[in-house]
Amino acid sequence: MSLSKLVWSHFGPHHPFPEKQKFHGFYRDALAPPALSPPLGLSLSAAFAPPGTVTMSNSSNMNALSPDEMQRFQKLSNEFEPEVPGLFVSPKQSSHNIALEYANADPTLATKTNALAVTHPMTRVMKGDGNCGWRAVAFGYFETLFALRDPLRVQRELARIKSLTYTLDRVGYADHLYEIFIDATEEIFAQTAAAIQNGDQDELFLVNAFNNEYKSNSVIMHFRLLTSAWMKLNPVRYQAFLSLPLEQYCATEIDTVRTEIDEVGLQALVDGVIEGAGFGIEILYLDRSEGDAVTPHQLSSNCPSGATIRLLYRPGHYDLIYRAEQTVNMAPVVNYQYAMTSNYSPWDQGALSFDVNSHLMSIPNLMADPAFGMGAPMSPMPSLSPPPATYRISPTQDMYQSPMQAHAPVPSIPVPSPPPVLPSAAPPPMTSLPSRSSDGPQIRLNPLVMKPNLNQLPVTAPFKKSSPYNQAHFQNQDFEPIHWEPNDTRRYDGSRR
Amino acid sequence: MDYTMEDTQNSAPDALEATKLNSAAQRNDTQSVTKRLQAELMQLMLSPSPGISAFPDADGNLLSWTATITGPTETPYEGLTLKLSFTFPNNYPYSPPTVLFKTPIYHPNFDFSGRICLDILKDKWSAVYNVQSVLLSLQSLLGEPNNASPLNAQAAELWDSDQEEFKKHVLARHRDLDDE
Repeated sequence: MSLSKLVWSHFGPHHPFPEKQKFHGFYRDALAPPALSPPLGLSLSAAFAPPGTVTMSNSSNMNALSPDEMQRFQKLSNEFEPEVPGLFVSPKQSSHNIALEYANADPTLATKTNALAVTHPMTRVMKGDGNCGWRAVAFGYFETLFALRDPLRVQRELARIKSLTYTLDRVGYADHLYEIFIDATEEIFAQTAAAIQNGDQDELFLVNAFNNEYKSNSVIMHFRLLTSAWMKLNPVRYQAFLSLPLEQYCATEIDTVRTEIDEVGLQALVDGVIEGAGFGIEILYLDRSEGDAVTPHQLSSNCPSGATIRLLYRPGHYDLIYRAEQTVNMAPVVNYQYAMTSNYSPWDQGALSFDVNSHLMSIPNLMADPAFGMGAPMSPMPSLSPPPATYRISPTQDMYQSPMQAHAPVPSIPVPSPPPVLPSAAPPPMTSLPSRSSDGPQIRLNPLVMKPNLNQLPVTAPFKKSSPYNQAHFQNQDFEPIHWEPNDTRRYDGSRR
Repeated sequence: MDYTMEDTQNSAPDALEATKLNSAAQRNDTQSVTKRLQAELMQLMLSPSPGISAFPDADGNLLSWTATITGPTETPYEGLTLKLSFTFPNNYPYSPPTVLFKTPIYHPNFDFSGRICLDILKDKWSAVYNVQSVLLSLQSLLGEPNNASPLNAQAAELWDSDQEEFKKHVLARHRDLDDE
């Protein structure tokens, strides 16, 4: 009895060979539908690395099949389309879901995803149907446009995108074929303008529009064609990166309806379609490369705060991800530090009424003694609501620092009876950080108070006024430290204007 | 669209909302397919290409068409009239039409059931392809078969080895279909 027959017997209803038992377990494993979770790369490779003998038996068996059967299998295989579950574009969800997916995976991935959940607390999952990269960018584009809440800008963008239509004509697409794509894009622009007009709180309308298969596909096709035309009109920039002639690349990789975007295509999409809007695009690569944070890569010439689309890339798949700044909610808190000093203006050691001995300050939680907080004479500030604002991290920074390093030396002090400005939801479980936001506003001591020379503030980049990274605040009489909630998105959008 | 299998942990309200909207949008989709096919038909009539034609079937269903290719000169198919059927999916043009030869044909890339092996009708389909471009591709395939991936291996072999014999097979298999 040949080994090959044995193996094939598993495809039929009968198992005439008793020996099959010893292979059964193995084949069931190898044939099991692969799970869709990303750590899978590891388990998959294990499942598909059968011992050589079985692989050989398998192929010799293929030869034994009749041409008809071969054809039938070929047809089945050609027509196979994996059922991909999920919405085309999911609602925003906590990035901790990603950390959970990798909790038992490679330690590098676990570390990176845990850090990512802190620096980028929200994600939006794209359906992995071969269009995820295109869809992520197209959705991110409209979402960013909506978040800016500028009706004029929407009009300007609509005009700009429509003006690109001439490029489609120049490279020879027929207008009766592409007009339905432009119609769909225009409709979403109109919806965006209307949502701004109506003061819609969130981008639900966009999520719905992109979950409509036809609209979603149309906008993606429109962006694909604009990208294709852009490449054909600027071949010099791209040809060197392609293994095919550019025309052929566009026909087989860009113009198609279900071919995933690759790096060259993504760059061309950014160059030709997105960057004209003044939006930034950044990719965060989540892989097993060295380091304890994802590797960011900026595709656009700059990444303006509040108008940057961020993509999370895992091999073969793109999702959208949102940095903390987009969801930060800032509210006034008691300024503990300044409540204890009467003279705000000179920024030097002498002006601080408490001991800034660096050794003392470096003792963790020294200031966190609740008794100390209770007894301290202080007058809570009235709960004014200044417009929450975003901050921006110096664009020169190359890596997202591990939040542990960034925040660990800053002691946090629970303050009694804080003005309950925001009914904040319970924060997501922080795996790598002590919970700082759950017990009310905290004092944030600038790490600089521990430095002997405070006259030279290492301000390296222009800051927005209320950036917590702006040490120059401490010179301002009206300075109020801010308290941020990493997970409160709605409030941010709502109270923005 | 069926979202009932959705992971509802995070998305229940939005997903339901999307489902509701989508049923309303379904009608729009059909309208879009119709609009697109009408545009294609218009184009075929206003600027016809030599040797090809196509028209929706008489039953008034715009989603099924019959097309004709005339065998190009200096090919074994010269002068032959080949009929094909086009069936358009509901999400056309985001999925390719199903195209079959109705006329029996002997060719390396078509099988005896009239099925066609052409990448642009499969994974290389683009939403800017259309009835006209598909017919033109098939017309050129008649003169230049892709023998690297044949559906009819004998035909592929014969094409390379004996053109005379190949043409005999073509003519033996060909049968004119009555106009319906």
